[in-house]
Amino acid sequence: MAEEDVVVSKRISAGRGQVPIFIALLVVAATIIYPLYFVIITSLRPNSDYLQNPFGLPGVWTFENYVNLANTYGIGQAFLNSLFVGTISVSIILVLASLAGYALAKLPVPGQKYITATFVSVMLLPGPVLIIPIYLMLARLELVGSYAGLILVYVATGLPFATFFLTLSFRGIPDEVIEAARIDGAGFFRIMWSIIAPMGSSGLATLAVLQFLGAWNELIFAVILIPEESMRLLTPQLASIGERFLTDQPLVSAGLFITASVPLILLAFASKYIMQGLQVGVSR
Amino acid sequence: MLPAFLVVVGFMAFPVAFAVFISFTRTNGLRYEWRWFDNYIALLNDPIVAQVFLNNLTFLISVPLVIFAALIVSVLLFERVRGWKYFRVIFFLPNVLSVAVIGIMFRNAFGYYGGVNQALGLFGIEPIQFFTNGTTAIAIIILALVWAGFGYQSLLLLAGLTAINPAVFEAAAIDGAGWWKRLWYITLPNIRRVLGFVFIINVIYTFSSLFGFIYVMTAGGPGFDTTTIDYLVYLRAFSSTNLGSGAALAVILFLFIGILTLIQNRVFKLGEED
Repeated sequence: MAEEDVVVSKRISAGRGQVPIFIALLVVAATIIYPLYFVIITSLRPNSDYLQNPFGLPGVWTFENYVNLANTYGIGQAFLNSLFVGTISVSIILVLASLAGYALAKLPVPGQKYITATFVSVMLLPGPVLIIPIYLMLARLELVGSYAGLILVYVATGLPFATFFLTLSFRGIPDEVIEAARIDGAGFFRIMWSIIAPMGSSGLATLAVLQFLGAWNELIFAVILIPEESMRLLTPQLASIGERFLTDQPLVSAGLFITASVPLILLAFASKYIMQGLQVGVSR
Repeated sequence: MLPAFLVVVGFMAFPVAFAVFISFTRTNGLRYEWRWFDNYIALLNDPIVAQVFLNNLTFLISVPLVIFAALIVSVLLFERVRGWKYFRVIFFLPNVLSVAVIGIMFRNAFGYYGGVNQALGLFGIEPIQFFTNGTTAIAIIILALVWAGFGYQSLLLLAGLTAINPAVFEAAAIDGAGWWKRLWYITLPNIRRVLGFVFIINVIYTFSSLFGFIYVMTAGGPGFDTTTIDYLVYLRAFSSTNLGSGAALAVILFLFIGILTLIQNRVFKLGEED
């Protein structure tokens, strides 16, 4: 099918040059790439050099901005904090969502309809509705200012989509395989570990990448739940650097690139998985 | 199964109920004083709320802009010229970046020493203070929204285009319909459902998810000129003595978005029938 319509569209556009379209796409791509290029180049020069000739290549190449951010503004620590919170959140989400997804896809669960309905409707909740009650609840539990509270929020907000996504991808695993394993005497956890996990691995990988990006990029809850400056995650730290150094573009650019680097690396190496996740977003 | 369900109910469904409760009280987070609809009545008479709602309506300008940009890009991608898959990844790129990154990037670029003012300087134009004026500040936030959103949405539209039966295009091409004619009479009508979907998610996004952009770009200023409803919820929650007011605003927002979602579902059902 896919191949067929490639052929057709080739046939239609044959005769018309593909060159103008290619150029148009290049122009659009430039509007995305150029700002990022500008940020990266700016981050590698001193402020005085930037002000002299912002659009040329740096007269002086330097890592000074990065060193400065790390030594004086704790960006390295914030980076590690984000990495820590993101990794733990994603791991918990993966475990809980695979259990739930497997149950919803393959086991007779009482009230399945209502559970799915709850998950789907909760998926549509706008974030601002949650900030006040969640803040008050976590304050009562004395979890404001601890990563545990923040991780709990990321897990809760990530789970509905994660469960929905894994339910869909586990449904593709043939019942016969699971049945055969069960006859061979494999227990629940054994089935999860040696059949569901490997056979659903591409779905799990997609989900891990998407959820990690979500946690890494999140801003509201990271701001309100971690008031302590030394514990801050990367995005709030970047926001406060951006606020304080309006006059030092190179310094802020370095902060921008540090924050963007992890998502960019993930996109470069896992674009296949990210695009797969996108397809589910479409069918939703 | 159970743990996932408990976490979701405990930290998402319960908080909504809790928010509704808070909205009927006057509270500082420790003591709750039941006040029925006082918070709601106060909000309806609050000129700031009215202004902020109008701001949200202004931000809706971004919706047609982003859809238009996405449409053009998706039609270009649909031609599947050499390397279109790489372009797809590039267009998706803003989507993996944090709102904080995109917002600060634009704030920087349009700042006093930013790239835009530097470029204007090359033509001898004095630097412009984009963020001290509500109108230009909103314009830049809208620009950031379009930049951040068009790529992903063009991929959504592309999926819609791909679902059109290729034979239809072929027949039209044989009948001698030119590229523009095919676009207007075949492509657009065939993806009107996806267009509708993209339209609604954009509207919902404009009302519920601008917080990050506002927080890093303008902090709602100057005055309340760029404050949106979701940002006002945050302001009321963390800089006023009555959390009930913020909660009431959140509940109103929630209902409003709920209605939009229902409309979306209705439209979709209708779309499936024809």
